[in-house]
Order: sequence, then C-alpha cells, then structure tokens
Amino acid sequence: MSLPSTLRRLALLTVTALVLWRVPLAAHDMWIEPATFSPQLGQVVSLRLRVGQDLLGDPLRLDPSLVNQFVVKDADGLRPVVRRDGGDPAGLVRVAAPGLVVIGYHSNPSAIEMAADKFNQYLKEEGLDAVSAARASRNESGKAAHEIFSRCAKSLVYSGSATDAQGDRPLGFTLELVAEGNPYTERPNQDMPVRLTYENRPLAGALVVAMNRLNPAEKLSARTDKDGRVRLKLRPGGMWLIKAVHMVPAPAASHADWASYWASLTFEMRNNSQVSSLNSQR
Amino acid sequence: MRVDLKLLTVCALLLSAATVRAHELGTTRVSVLLQGGKTYDIEIVTDAASLVEKLDTSRVEPSPADASPDRLQSLLTRFDETFRQRVTLAFDASDVHPAIAYAVSPGADAVSSPMATIRLTGQIPPGAGHFTWSYAWTFASYALTVRSAVAENPATQWLEGAQTSAPFALTAPAPPVNRLSTGWRYLALGFTHIVPGGLDHVLFVLGIYLLSGRARSVLWQVSAFTVAHSITLGLSMYGIVAVSPRIVEPLIALSIAYVAIENIFLSELKSWRVALVFCFGLLHGMGFAGALKELGLPRSEFVTALVTFNVGVEAGQLAVIGTAFMLVGWSCAHRAWYRSRIVVPASMLIACTAVYWTLQRL
Repeated sequence: MSLPSTLRRLALLTVTALVLWRVPLAAHDMWIEPATFSPQLGQVVSLRLRVGQDLLGDPLRLDPSLVNQFVVKDADGLRPVVRRDGGDPAGLVRVAAPGLVVIGYHSNPSAIEMAADKFNQYLKEEGLDAVSAARASRNESGKAAHEIFSRCAKSLVYSGSATDAQGDRPLGFTLELVAEGNPYTERPNQDMPVRLTYENRPLAGALVVAMNRLNPAEKLSARTDKDGRVRLKLRPGGMWLIKAVHMVPAPAASHADWASYWASLTFEMRNNSQVSSLNSQR
Repeated sequence: MRVDLKLLTVCALLLSAATVRAHELGTTRVSVLLQGGKTYDIEIVTDAASLVEKLDTSRVEPSPADASPDRLQSLLTRFDETFRQRVTLAFDASDVHPAIAYAVSPGADAVSSPMATIRLTGQIPPGAGHFTWSYAWTFASYALTVRSAVAENPATQWLEGAQTSAPFALTAPAPPVNRLSTGWRYLALGFTHIVPGGLDHVLFVLGIYLLSGRARSVLWQVSAFTVAHSITLGLSMYGIVAVSPRIVEPLIALSIAYVAIENIFLSELKSWRVALVFCFGLLHGMGFAGALKELGLPRSEFVTALVTFNVGVEAGQLAVIGTAFMLVGWSCAHRAWYRSRIVVPASMLIACTAVYWTLQRL
C-alpha cells in the first residue's frame, strides 16, 4: 500500500471513528418512513417504522400490543392503515385521493427505567428543562427514573396536484406536530410554520428540532411560542424529520414517575425545479 | 402463506415479550451456537440497508435503501473493519477475533427489504468459563439466543443496542442438590453394594442365616450385625475411626470363614455367637465406609446420604435372607436332612471361598 493511500485510509478511519464514537443519545427518535413521498394515485405505499438517532434508524416490527392508532387521513377522510402485525414494513397505504396524505402512528406507552445520570442527560438533550427543574426542587436529580413513553409519529406524502388550501391535518394525537401549510407546495426558502399541540391545545416553550437526511448532523431547533408555533427555514431537497418531546408527571396508576410523548413529522422537501414544475401544472 | 406463518410467529414473540421489553423491538436477531466448548458460530440477521447506512458514514452509497442485495453485500464486506468496531464477543475477559462472512438475501416478499446474514465463527479459547456479547449496530431492542451442549433449551436474552449481555456459562453448573433425590440415589447405591456388588457380604449373611432354622436365631444375629456396622460406618465416615482396608478386608473374609465353619459344628444360637457377629459387624461397617468414601458424599447432604446408604445396605441383606428363606428355609428347614444336606455342605462351600479370599487379600 502506498503512503498517500495509507494516509487517506487513516484519515477516513479517524473521521469514521469520530462520527461513530460520539456519545450515543440516551433516548431515540422514532419516525415513519414511507417507501415513497410522491406516490402515484392508486399506488400502494409501504410504511416502515424506524427508531434511531440522526436519521440513522433501525426498522421496527409492528407490535400489535403497542398500536393505539395507525391511521391515514386524506381528502376522503380518516381510515385505518392496512397493518402487517409483527412485520416490517409495518403497514400499507393505498393512495386513493389526490393531494396530501397524512399517516399517523400513536403507540401505547412502554415502560423504561433509567439510571439518574442517563435520565438527566436525556432531559438535557431533549430540552425538558421543566422536568429537570422539578426533579432538582424535589432533590430527585440523583435518583433513577421510571418512565412510560408513547410515540406520536406522523408522515406526509403527496400525490398529484392539489389546491394550496390542502395542508397537514391534525389527527388528535396526545402530542402532535402539525405542518401549517403543505410542504410539497411551499415556495423554496420560505419559513415553514409548524405547530405543536399537547392534548389538542398549543404547547408553548417546547424544543422543536428538525434534521435532514442529506445532513442529519446539522440540526435546526427552536422553542415554540405562546401559540405553540415555530418557524423553520427548511432548505429544499431530501427527507426532513421534525421532532419534539413532552414530559409530564405519570398518572398514578402507571407506577411510573414520568410520562413522555414523542412527536415526529416526516416529509420530503422537493428541490426548486420540482416545485416550480408542480406550480406550473396548476 | 409461508410469510403469514412467519408473521404470526413474530407476533407471538412480540406479545410474549411485551411485559419484559423496555424499548421497541427491531428486526435484528442474534443466534449463538457454542459447539462442544470448542467452536462458536454466531449468526446476526438484520436489515441490510439500515446497517449499511450506519456503517457508511462517508456516504459512499447515496441511498442504500434502493441498492440491490448484491450491492449491499459487497458494501458490507467493504465495511468489515468498521463493523468489527462495535461488535464484541468475549470469552471470560478476553476478546476474540472471529472470521466474518457477510451475505445479503432479498426480502421475504415484495414489500420486505433485503436482510443481511452475518456469520461470525472461530475457536473458543481453551478453558473459557463464560461468554459475553454486545452488538452496537442497532438502536432497537433485539433477542440474543444462545444454544450450547450445556443447556438443553436455548437461553434467550432481550438486549438493547450496545447493551452487553449477561455472561453465559460454558460449563455446566453443579446439579442442584436435592435431599429426596440424594436419598434415593444413596439408598440404591447401598442396596447394589450388597446385591449384586458384594458377594462377600452376601456369603456372610447366608452364613448367619444357615446357623439355625429358627427365626429367633436369624433375628438376633441380624440385629447385632446391623447395629454394629451402622456404628463403624458412621464413625469411619466422620473420621473418628480409621483402619486401613489392608487390615479390614482380610478380616472381613476371615469373619465369613469363621461363621461358616462354626455352622458345621454348632446348631443352636449361643449368646457368644451374637457377640461375635456384633464384632464382625464392626469390621463390615468399616468395609462399607471404604466403599462409600469411594462413591463420594455430597457435603450438603452428608447425613442423608450416610443414613440412606446404610438403609440400602440393610435392604440388600434382608433381600438375601428373604431369597434364601424362599429357596430352602421355608420348605425344608424343619426336615431332618436340612442340616446334613443343606447347612453343612453350603457352609463348607462358603468357608472354602472365604478362606481363599482371606489368603488372597493378605
């Protein structure tokens, strides 16, 4: 092996090691990944559930005991996704009406116990300052935490041409991210308003993070305003994941200390040429 | 239909795991086969594209999701070095370097994605006691199944990505000591030490039996013998008395010869005969102790084993007497010719055998 190639190899390994050996996050994101974000009308789209970080995710099997809602909402209304219990992909959706198709997966809670330091790290990573403060005021920061967590994942796919008015629609999930407008028809480099609701009311002061598949390490983040709204400057091209986590004291019957809700929203931003051709079609 | 069955199985697995699982369950599974304590064969089955995505941090492949199984397989092989960084298999505290083979097969049906099957093989270091595993290339929880000759059923652990498994024992743990099973075992050992194992003891008991056709005679001698051998068996096992088998064994043979020869000249039970049988019983007890020491006694169930072995010995002796009674005692003990035709010739035969043993054991 020649010296330059050895050096190149070494440099590559170093970079690899740096990226890989980052401290793994204490808790992982979960999102829906459709086989395509731009299906033809009538096409069957398979839906994968993924868990991971930085948009590097492992597929999840559909665990029937965990499904609370697995639904699709389009111009024709709300209906259940065709489930593949125990399978990956977890479900199938046939695109029956043109326009924006909203897919949602709301899980039942899962229980987890976390050591104090890991739980504190997780609260910091997800911007759950209020919970950190509550634990500190009760002298619980050094204590392990019992948590129940639920997933509230949504994905937006778009078929054919549609009117501007047709945007994302709320599904009534406990914690829910709603894109105000249609990311498939937004003009490039416009701020995208996204609203976060908890129990169908705007949630203020929550951390919302967005990342793109083409460069997941670079993250956009903002805190929601009093109306639960953030504006994110999403550049065109590639799949986007927007996420937020909310945590409240767990109900007494759950035998846990805290209950968390993980909202996610995935969609694709088309590049400029795609959007302009779409607009010219209308 | 095949796929449906597979899905059903997975469903059953998921449901059964629901109570113990913390994180969501992914598609990864790991099976470990430990063969004869010599070689290991580990199979990781996982989603091929998402693994390549994680390995390929420099983005050689822009979108592995659309790559063909062949392409994914060649990429996995290329990232071998990176892959190894987050897979740890250790025997005791030392990591081993396995041979790794990567294979990617198309999804089970039209919508399923290609699956990678990664095989790690190698030699288990000699003398290794435990095996531990960690696989940090998944964010989801997965099942680790370990099969080996040690355990009849495979052991399954649910692990989260990067979590290190609990150590898996390569050598069988000592079987749990159970009083009842120990008792039965030593009872049987005691019995078989007499029938069919101990012809010398059988001849001694026959010698006792042949003295007289009366039940009183047998009862007294057997009781004296039993009490005596129980005493020395216990004392020897607790190490209170210790007499070399080089002395005990010839004396046991001599005691048989004595009892048999006396039967030729004596036809009634005398009290000194009972006393002599008691003394001989002490000798035989030491002989039993020698045999029991060779078998070994469980430390935790010492008394149980000692008592049941003794009871087994007793049962063996009673079986000999019962058989002799059925064969000759019952039908002809009251006949005039019983002594001349049965007792004397049998006793002479026993005496000759015992004298031969005595000389042999000296």
